[in-house]
Amino acid sequence: MIKPVALLGGRSALYSIIAIAIALALIPLVLGYNMYYVYLAAQVVLVTTMVLAWNIIGGYAGQLDLASSGYMALGGAVSGLLLAFYNVTPWLGMPLGALTAAGLAFLIGYPTFRFGVKEVWYALSTAALVVILQRVFWLIYGSTEIYMPVHRWSWYHLRFSRYEPLYYMLVVILLVTLWLNIRIKNSKLGYYLTAIGEDELAAEALGIDTRRYKLYALLIYASILGFVGGIYVNLTSIVSFRMFDLWLGIVVAVMGIIGGLGSIAGVFMAAVILRTLEEYLRSMFGATIPGIHLLIYGLLLIVVGVLKPEGFAGFLKYFRRRLARGGSGG
Amino acid sequence: MIDPAYATQILINGVLMGLLYSLVALGLALIFGVMDIINFAHGDFVMLGAYLTFLIATYFLIDPTVTIALTVPLFFLLGIAVYKAIIKPVLGAEPLIQIAVTVGLLMFLRNLALAIFHAEPRGVPYTVFSTPITIGPITIPLSRAVAGAVSLAVLYIVHLLLTRTRWGIAVRATADDREAAALMGINVERVYYTTFGLGTALTALAAALIMTFSRADPYLGLLYGLLSWVIVAMGGLGGVVGVLASGLILGIIESFGMSLVSTGARELFLYVTFLVVLWVRPRGLFGRR
Repeated sequence: MIKPVALLGGRSALYSIIAIAIALALIPLVLGYNMYYVYLAAQVVLVTTMVLAWNIIGGYAGQLDLASSGYMALGGAVSGLLLAFYNVTPWLGMPLGALTAAGLAFLIGYPTFRFGVKEVWYALSTAALVVILQRVFWLIYGSTEIYMPVHRWSWYHLRFSRYEPLYYMLVVILLVTLWLNIRIKNSKLGYYLTAIGEDELAAEALGIDTRRYKLYALLIYASILGFVGGIYVNLTSIVSFRMFDLWLGIVVAVMGIIGGLGSIAGVFMAAVILRTLEEYLRSMFGATIPGIHLLIYGLLLIVVGVLKPEGFAGFLKYFRRRLARGGSGG
Repeated sequence: MIDPAYATQILINGVLMGLLYSLVALGLALIFGVMDIINFAHGDFVMLGAYLTFLIATYFLIDPTVTIALTVPLFFLLGIAVYKAIIKPVLGAEPLIQIAVTVGLLMFLRNLALAIFHAEPRGVPYTVFSTPITIGPITIPLSRAVAGAVSLAVLYIVHLLLTRTRWGIAVRATADDREAAALMGINVERVYYTTFGLGTALTALAAALIMTFSRADPYLGLLYGLLSWVIVAMGGLGGVVGVLASGLILGIIESFGMSLVSTGARELFLYVTFLVVLWVRPRGLFGRR
């Protein structure tokens, strides 16, 4: 039998997950159960989950995937349309959404990796995928917005008059994604993916079946996003073609890069800080300077790329080294 | 079956758009082919060029096509400045870093435009090329015909530049083998910044042509950026001819898709073609290596 601590990838990882869980659990209380703030907190948790899921394919395996919003919207559309048209509970819709997203990821990913589509071409093909999905959805449903049914408090429909239940569900998914990140990082799969991310040719020369492991990473990533999509549509109450938003996919990848590829702590921090900053800037300048947060992301990205390719993780490492030196009295 | 006259009309529309697409992609093909740099911000130079054309044309009340006298040299200098500031430091860096930096540039440019002009599209009030030409059942907007003809001429000029001048020989040698070219006494640094400058200047030219029949909005960047990459992917590194052929194919596919299925399906046809090309011919349809 494996000890629970080992299953979590070590004692320190267990402690950090517990600490994050407690902190996130207390946030609605800290925010005074203000509806608007809890909604924003849910958005931050959602994007952090997306970035952590992206970290598996983008950070570890080094594949610049821009389709995270596409997979999430697909899962959300499956779950949301089932709920709106057939009154199917999202508890069933979410796994189905995950399955659909993973199915699509397989259909696209298999030939993509089989034919050696890499680097810029991979990034572009994933960007194209989001646009294709959006156009297909538009051809079927047009630009009408499909609203989720209204219920005061229904666990069957996952419709509530407050945001706390959805917030806590998102927190659980975030913690599971965090746990998966840690588990994968310390497993055979993680080592293979990191090797692929660093030098794919060398990894292949060492006998790693790069196609297979890239596909695994893609499937895990797409499943998480497809699953969380079901909660996303209930959070916003709308299913529409606008969900297939390439910009969100780009922003998720940007946060992963600014956080430092493959660094769980860096990626986590980048997502939380940048998404919160975005809301702050939007509330301050949104009316006068739309998109100012993206302007700042852009500048950050240029600075990180040119000066500090390790991203936030580089700063984290620097501080840790400083602290360690301080602790040993040096 | 569709009416032959209608089919010809669709074909002509497609060819004219395809010529313009080739011109937009030409700069990217040069930059990618010669410098091996992954520039995601190419489309946003087109967007920036469209806004600049709008500003100059409305301020001086002149035709958008005349503005190129100002915008093209300006963009040549802008290209060199961008190269020196952010492209040079990441030359030879891993693809992910290059993509990150140019995506950063893309986000910066696009949101700068959004911040200044907000989301409403801006069109120039006046162009001399507004009357359509009618030949039997076929109608061609003059602005599109001019855009197509100018694009073709510029493609030919760049082709001549690359094949007949000392600069062109230096560029092609650098594209083939950077180190060997440097050893032969070619100033690689100068080849790089002139190529980036020219590639950027071409977007200003394309933008002026686009403005004769379309409007500037912040979303132009993503459309033309992706489109250019699709053309480069299809063209491989087959030079101007590859770019031209790919642009024409895409223009025609798009035109038929839009006319026979739905105008909203425009991107659908472009990107499905793109995915298939990537899978079937990873080196492009006209690749020479």
